[in-house]
Amino acid sequence: MSNCSCENPLIPQIVEVIKIVEETPDVKTFYVQKDNGVPFDVMPGQLAMVSLLPVGEGMFSVSWQEDDHLQFAIKRVGVMTDELHNIDVGQRLGVRGPYGNGFPVEKCQGRDMLFIGGGIGLAPLRSFIKYCFKHREDYGKITIIYGSRSYDDLCFKEELFGKWPQEKDTQVYVTIDNAEEKWDGHVGYVPAYLEELNPDPQGMIAVTCGPPIMIKFVLQALQKMGFSDEQVITTLEMRMKCGIGKCGRCNIGSEYICLDGPVFDLAQLRKLPPEW
Amino acid sequence: MKYFKKGQIEKIVDRLAEKADVFVPMLRGQQSGFFSWKSYDENYDDLIFDLLNVYSPPKNIVLPQTEKMYNFDQQGQEVIVKPEEIPVEPKVIFGIRSCDVKAIEYLDEVFLTRTFVDEFYKARRDQVTIVANACYNPGTNCFCKSMGVDPLEPEMADVILREVENGYVWEPKTEKGDILTKQIEDLLEEKEVELYELNRFVRKVNYDGVAEKLKDLFDHPMWERYSDPCQTCGICTYMCPTCYCFDVQVKNWGEEGYRFRCWDSCMYREYTQMAGGHNPREATTERFRNRFLHKLQFFNERYGTPLCTGCGRCIVACPAGVDIIRMIELIKEAEPSV
Repeated sequence: MSNCSCENPLIPQIVEVIKIVEETPDVKTFYVQKDNGVPFDVMPGQLAMVSLLPVGEGMFSVSWQEDDHLQFAIKRVGVMTDELHNIDVGQRLGVRGPYGNGFPVEKCQGRDMLFIGGGIGLAPLRSFIKYCFKHREDYGKITIIYGSRSYDDLCFKEELFGKWPQEKDTQVYVTIDNAEEKWDGHVGYVPAYLEELNPDPQGMIAVTCGPPIMIKFVLQALQKMGFSDEQVITTLEMRMKCGIGKCGRCNIGSEYICLDGPVFDLAQLRKLPPEW
Repeated sequence: MKYFKKGQIEKIVDRLAEKADVFVPMLRGQQSGFFSWKSYDENYDDLIFDLLNVYSPPKNIVLPQTEKMYNFDQQGQEVIVKPEEIPVEPKVIFGIRSCDVKAIEYLDEVFLTRTFVDEFYKARRDQVTIVANACYNPGTNCFCKSMGVDPLEPEMADVILREVENGYVWEPKTEKGDILTKQIEDLLEEKEVELYELNRFVRKVNYDGVAEKLKDLFDHPMWERYSDPCQTCGICTYMCPTCYCFDVQVKNWGEEGYRFRCWDSCMYREYTQMAGGHNPREATTERFRNRFLHKLQFFNERYGTPLCTGCGRCIVACPAGVDIIRMIELIKEAEPSV
């Protein structure tokens, strides 16, 4: 059997898992590689369909790309991700993409950036955050507000507590839902923490991703602080099968999340039916 | 005019079948649909060129109900993927009506345009020649003209057949049509015949302004009221010549298997059910609404036309009596914002 061609966008390429990082009890980051490189180049916020061939396929945001690998931070939530969490380094996976529009990295140049994440919602934001650090001179001040249910559930701890706070003009604020003995940081929900920190919307772009309920209250809080709809960006999630705008299911109104999204600003979202 | 007598039609199909797999409208037991002429059995099947809409639309010829995409074999940590070869045999859809021709035009828009080309669809579609049969007598649930379809002039047809007294006019329209004409030239005669007039439609509806109006009706209580009888069986979507949604699934025995796609329906809960539990269209009302909005508003916003060709199949098939013509009328009558 020959290896698959990439000319058909529905047929995956084969990649090798070269590293697995256990981020939390139910989140692992998988580093995948093809021929010592990447299967394709990805912009921050874009998606790829990852398959464990005999089990299933799922759409995930690419949480970072290096020259020689792609990273996917994946939470265990269903049949396919359960099986994914059981694989070892060396496993071959299928991957096809990249899909979707990605974050407007160029449009945000010169602006202060506010990233607001909850739980696994930091995975897509991370691609943009790391992009900003890689092109540090293109962006202004960077503020990251991130929360999870507990300390153990915080993703990317090494970057969150080690690397990111060391970056120039960068503030990282972390909170957890309920107090714990091993945690002496902020306690409370992300939207409340955001209101408490009360960032100045002047010249700032806010990018948020997290559970639907968090996004809902974050958007309300941002609006209250004076952010315009064009200053607020989020990424949406829907069930997807094809990734190329054909199979139908990921529509919200006439937009396909896999093709026209997953990234929208609030002004765009307000024109869509309230199914997001 | 090129003309042939009705008695010649089987000969013509036979001749075309020498070079292509020809799909013709047949009554097969209680079912009707487009079936391969190769599978015709005179003991069971009746050719039904004079019936208006066969029950099953011919969309399966370009978008099979299930379609293998690729095979895989996982050995330990290694895995091999081998794409399935897509059949490239030429096909003729013989006797297809205007509504179903228009539906293929819409499928072409979906699968062949807007950033990505669907290679599976394209491989099949490229091989298809369309021999349409013009409709002079609209059926009791036909309303194609209301949806912008011309029953006498199917635009994408390679050949148009026109039923006349005792025979058919054969009217080639494209290069592909000329190729078929050459194949059957000796079976055609030159003759001036009188064409029928189009009979009146029993059912009509005015779609003007519906897409625009629906923008303000998303939260209208009409959806809850009218979705009440819907059983979410999905038959409307399966019988629809334009519904194209598909699922991708895996079939495996141990570590070996294949991935395939198959028709799916927006009427099913699983259609938008996400891992982790969230479902944006959990309730029947939400799914019912999305189906009508997709057909009458969303598709129009994206592709500039409603996703309905007025074939009337969903009206006939629905066990709960949901009627898209009536729905369009109700939308027109509805008062926005309650």
